[in-house]
Amino acid sequence: MKLFEFKKKYHELFVVEKRPEDKEKPRDVKKAFNDFWNGKPHEERRLGDLYVGDTGLYKHREWRGFMDTMYYFNMVWLYNYAHMVTDIVKYGDGPQSLVDFAKGVWRYRWMGQTYLSVMHWFDRGMEGMRGEALRASAWHYRGMVSETIRQFQRMFIADKKLHGGKENKYWKQHIAHNETVGGSFFYPFRQDLIDVPLEMITYFVSVHVNNHTVLKYIDAAQSIGLPSDPCPMCQAEYGLFVEDDYPDYAPTMITSNEACDGSVATSVLQDWFLNRPLYALPQPMRYDDPLVQKHAQKEIEGCWKFIEEQYGVKFDWDTYVKYAESFNKLTEFEWEKWDVAANTENYPINGVAQALYRIYYSQAGDRPIWHECDEHVRKIMNKTVKKNIITFPKTRHRAIAWSCAPLYYSNWCTWAYNCWGINCVINMDSLMFDQYLRTDTYEHALEDLNWMNEKAPMRAMAVGGHEHILSLFDYMERFNCDMVIMYDQLQCKGMQGIHGVFEDEFRKRDIHAIWVPHALPDKRTVSRKEIRKIISDYMTTVMHEEPLDPTLVEFDDDNSW
Amino acid sequence: MKDLVHIFELEDLLQEANNELIRQAKADGKRVLGYTCYFMPEVLLDLPGCVSARLRAPRSSSPEMATYYMTNRTCMYGRCLLERALEGGYNFLDAQMATETCTVTCRFQEHLQLMDIIKNPDFFCEFTDVPFKKNDNSIEHYETQLRHHVLDKLKEHFDIDTSDEALLQAIKEHNEICRLITEIGSYRKLDEPTITGTEFSIIMLSTLVCPKYLIIDKLRDIAEQLKTRKPDEKKTYRCKVVLAGSEEDDPNFVKLIEECGALVVADRHCYGSLPGREEIVVKEGETPLHAIARHYLETSNCPRFMEQHVMRERKDRLAAIAKEYKADGIVISQMKFCEYWSYERTIDTLVLPKDYGIPVCSIEKEYVNNAVGQLRTRFQAFVESIELKNIQSGKTGVNDSSTRKEATA
Amino acid sequence: MKSIGKFIFKLMKIGAVIYGILFAVFYFDLDGKFLYYIWEPMMVKHYDNMKRPDNTGMPYGLKDKVAPAEYTEIL
Repeated sequence: MKLFEFKKKYHELFVVEKRPEDKEKPRDVKKAFNDFWNGKPHEERRLGDLYVGDTGLYKHREWRGFMDTMYYFNMVWLYNYAHMVTDIVKYGDGPQSLVDFAKGVWRYRWMGQTYLSVMHWFDRGMEGMRGEALRASAWHYRGMVSETIRQFQRMFIADKKLHGGKENKYWKQHIAHNETVGGSFFYPFRQDLIDVPLEMITYFVSVHVNNHTVLKYIDAAQSIGLPSDPCPMCQAEYGLFVEDDYPDYAPTMITSNEACDGSVATSVLQDWFLNRPLYALPQPMRYDDPLVQKHAQKEIEGCWKFIEEQYGVKFDWDTYVKYAESFNKLTEFEWEKWDVAANTENYPINGVAQALYRIYYSQAGDRPIWHECDEHVRKIMNKTVKKNIITFPKTRHRAIAWSCAPLYYSNWCTWAYNCWGINCVINMDSLMFDQYLRTDTYEHALEDLNWMNEKAPMRAMAVGGHEHILSLFDYMERFNCDMVIMYDQLQCKGMQGIHGVFEDEFRKRDIHAIWVPHALPDKRTVSRKEIRKIISDYMTTVMHEEPLDPTLVEFDDDNSW
Repeated sequence: MKDLVHIFELEDLLQEANNELIRQAKADGKRVLGYTCYFMPEVLLDLPGCVSARLRAPRSSSPEMATYYMTNRTCMYGRCLLERALEGGYNFLDAQMATETCTVTCRFQEHLQLMDIIKNPDFFCEFTDVPFKKNDNSIEHYETQLRHHVLDKLKEHFDIDTSDEALLQAIKEHNEICRLITEIGSYRKLDEPTITGTEFSIIMLSTLVCPKYLIIDKLRDIAEQLKTRKPDEKKTYRCKVVLAGSEEDDPNFVKLIEECGALVVADRHCYGSLPGREEIVVKEGETPLHAIARHYLETSNCPRFMEQHVMRERKDRLAAIAKEYKADGIVISQMKFCEYWSYERTIDTLVLPKDYGIPVCSIEKEYVNNAVGQLRTRFQAFVESIELKNIQSGKTGVNDSSTRKEATA
Repeated sequence: MKSIGKFIFKLMKIGAVIYGILFAVFYFDLDGKFLYYIWEPMMVKHYDNMKRPDNTGMPYGLKDKVAPAEYTEIL
C-alpha cells in the first residue's frame, strides 16, 4: 500500500474532520477541560461525524465525559466482553463448551457472523446516553447477552450436527419450540428438561446484532418459490431450514400460531424439515372471549401431556410455582417501571432497551439473569426518582411506538432522541404478557398462564378484534405521550388491513403520528436512512423543529450491522 | 356438448351479490346472512327464516377506497369486499357472521363492525372463534362458539328457531343440495367428463350465493340432464387438471384454464366443492350442532390446521383427488398476499411432483384477474409440459397428438 | 519484600499497559474495525462455500407418523 493510500485509509478510519468554523475558533482550555470531564453539551456532540462512511463503525467511540466514558469502557465494554467468555463456560458443559462454541461459530452463519459484533449492538443502542440512562440501559443489554449465550450454548452442547450426528444425553433433555411459544409453558418441567426456542437466537437476536445474516435466510426461503410478500420473519425462520442452518438439539418441537397466519404456515415447513414429533399449541384468535379459555387451557394441558410422554418426565407443580412466583417478581418490577415511565421524567431506560429487554425476558420466561439485571436497574431507578434526576433532559416529545418494530433498526429511538429529542417512553410489545400468575390452585394457575400467553407479542394487540389495536389511544394517554411512532410493517397483513382506520383516528384526534415503514428484519425494503428521512421530514415540515444534532439528520449507514 | 339447462340464468345470478334470488328471498321475509369462510357453517345460516350468502364482489375493478383503508399490500379479495360494502353493495345483509380465520377477511369484517358501513338498521356483525386443530377439544370448542355466536345471536336478533328440530331440518335441506352437487360433480370423474369445470364452477358458486330453496329445482334439472348428456365427439381439452388453492370465486378464471386446453375436473379451494359439498351425518346420540361442528372441522382441508398428521394428510388428500378425478396435473392458485396459501402453495409445488409424481402449475393471482395474458402463457406451457410428459411415458388417449392438434385448432 | 513489591509494581505496570491498549482498542473502535473488515468477510466466505444438503429433497408424503395418536387424532 502506498503512503498516500495508507494516509487516506487512516483518515477515513480514524480522523474526525473539524468544521471550518471550529478550526478558526481560538482554543478555550476551560471549555476543553469541561468537555473532557462532563462530555460535550448535546447540541455540540456532532455524533454523525464519528461514523466511518456507511459502515456504522466509529472513527473513535464517543467521548461521553470522563466518568461516563470510563463507565462505558469498564462496565459495559470490558465487562461484557469478559462475560461473553465466562458465560460460554458457565452455560455450557465445562471446558468442553469452548470447543462446542468454536464448532458452533464455524458451523452456523447466524453465530459466527454475529456473536463478536455484539458490542456494536450496545454502541448503537446507547449512543449519546449519559449517566443513569446509560447505566440502566446497559444492564438490560447485559441481561439479553447473557440469556443469548445460555440459549446458544444449550443448543450447541446438544446439537447433533456438532457431535457427528449422535444423540447425546443433552439432546434427549431439550425441548425445541418456536420463539413465539412462551418459556412459561415449560416451567413445570424445568427441573428435568431444558426449553430453548429454536429461532430466538438463530433469527431474532441475530437480526438486532448484525442484520446481514438474515438476508441470506430470506433469500433462501424465496429461492424455493415462496413469494416475497409474506411476513419476512416467517420467511427468515424457514429460510434457516432451507439453508440447513438450524441446530438439531431436541427430539421434539412445540409450534404455535402466534402471532399470525404466517406463523401457522411456518409450522408446516418445520414439520417437513424436522421430521420429529411436533405438538401444535395454538392460541385462540378471539382471545378475550370468555368462551375460548377452557379450550385453550386444554391445549396447554395437551402440550404438557405430550412432554410427559415424549420425555418420560412428570409435571411438577412445585417447580411451576417456583418459576411462576419468581416471574411474578419480574412482572411487578415491570409495572413499577411503567409507573415511573408514565408519570415522571426519571425513567432511566431508553426506548430500545425497554422494548428489547421486555420482549426477550417475558418471552423466554423466568431466568436468574433477569433478576440480577433488574436489581441493578432498580437501584438506578430508585436513585433517579429519589433525586429527581431528569434522565433524558433533551426530551421534546414523549412518544409511544405502536405495532411491530423494525428489527434491523430497533435503535431508531436512540437516534430519534439524539437528533430530535423524541423520547420513546413505551412501545406496544412491552405491554403484552401483562398478567400476574396466581399459584394458589392449579385451576387459577392454568387460567392465568393461558391468559398471559394469549396476550403475547403482536397478538395481544393485533388479533381478536379491532379494539385491541385501537387501545393505542388509551395507552398514549396513560403514558402521557404527545406523539405516536406508528410502525408500518409492510408485510404484516394484520396491520396493513387497519391502516386507514388509524389514519382517520389520528386526524380526528389531532395526534402527531409518524408512519415508519419497514419490513421487520429486511433492511433492503426500507433502509434505515429512509426511516430517518421520514421522521426528519415530519419534524421539519410538520413540527417546524430544528435538530438537536444536525450531523444526525442525514448520514449513510446502509452497510452497517 | 349441449348447453346445460339454467346455466346462463345461474351465470347471470353471479353478476352481483344482491342478485335477483336474494332480493326475492328478502321479499319472502327471509333474513340474509353474509359470511366469507367455510368455517362459518352455511347450514346454520340457512335455518328456517334466513338464508346464507357467501360474499363475493363480482365485476370489481380497482378497490380505491378499500385500498386507502387496507393498503395495496393486502389480499385483494378482502379489499374488494370492503370496496363493495363501502359502495353500498351489501346493504341487503341483515348480519355478517364473521370468523377470524384469515387476517384480511377478518379485518374486512372488523371494518363492518367499526365503521357503520351497512345501511341496514338491523345489521350486526358477530365473530366466531375457529380452532386450529381437529381433536375433540376443538370440536367441543367450535360447537360452543357456534351456539353462542351464531345460534343465540340469530335467536336474539331475528327470533330464528334454533332448536334441534330446526337444525335437523336445515341439515336435511343442506344435504339435499350436497347430494345434487356431488352427483353433478361425479360426472367429472368420467374418462370423458360430461360437464366442464366452468359449468360446474357456476353451479357450485350459485349454491353459495343464492338462497338454496330457490335454486334447488334448477339443480335437479341439471342433474337430470347430466344423466343423458354426451361428451363432445371431438375432445376439446388436452389434459385434465385439479384446481386447488385459496379463495376463487370467478368462473372466468376456470374458463381461462379450460381455454388453454386443461379441463378442470376438481375444485379444492375455498369456494370449491371438495370440501364443501359433503353431506352432514348426524351420528346416533349426537346433537345436530355437534355433528355440524365435527363435520366442518373434519372435512376442511384449510392450511390453517396445524396438527402434524393433518398437515401431512392434506398432501395425501390433494394427491388422492387428482387420482380419483383422473387428473393429469394440479393447478395451485394462490390469491396474492394470502399468507396461508403462499406457504401451502410453495410446499405443494415442491412435494406433489417429487413425492406423488403429479405435475403442478403454481400460480399467484389477484382477485381482479388482470393478468390474463401471462396466466394464459403459463397454462399453455403447463398443458404442453403434461403432453410432453405423457408422450415420453407412452401415454395416449386424451393427450394424443391428433387430439392435441384438433384441440389447439 | 522489596522484590515482591517490585514484582507487584511490575505487574501493575503490565496491567496498566494492557489496560491502556484495551482502552485504545475500545476508543478507536479497533474491535469493530477488525470484525467488519477482516472477520466478517472471512466468515461470510466460509459460510458461502459450505456444502449444504438440499433439504427440500426430503420426502414429505412418505414420512413416518411420528406423534402418538392421542395428540393428533379425533377422539
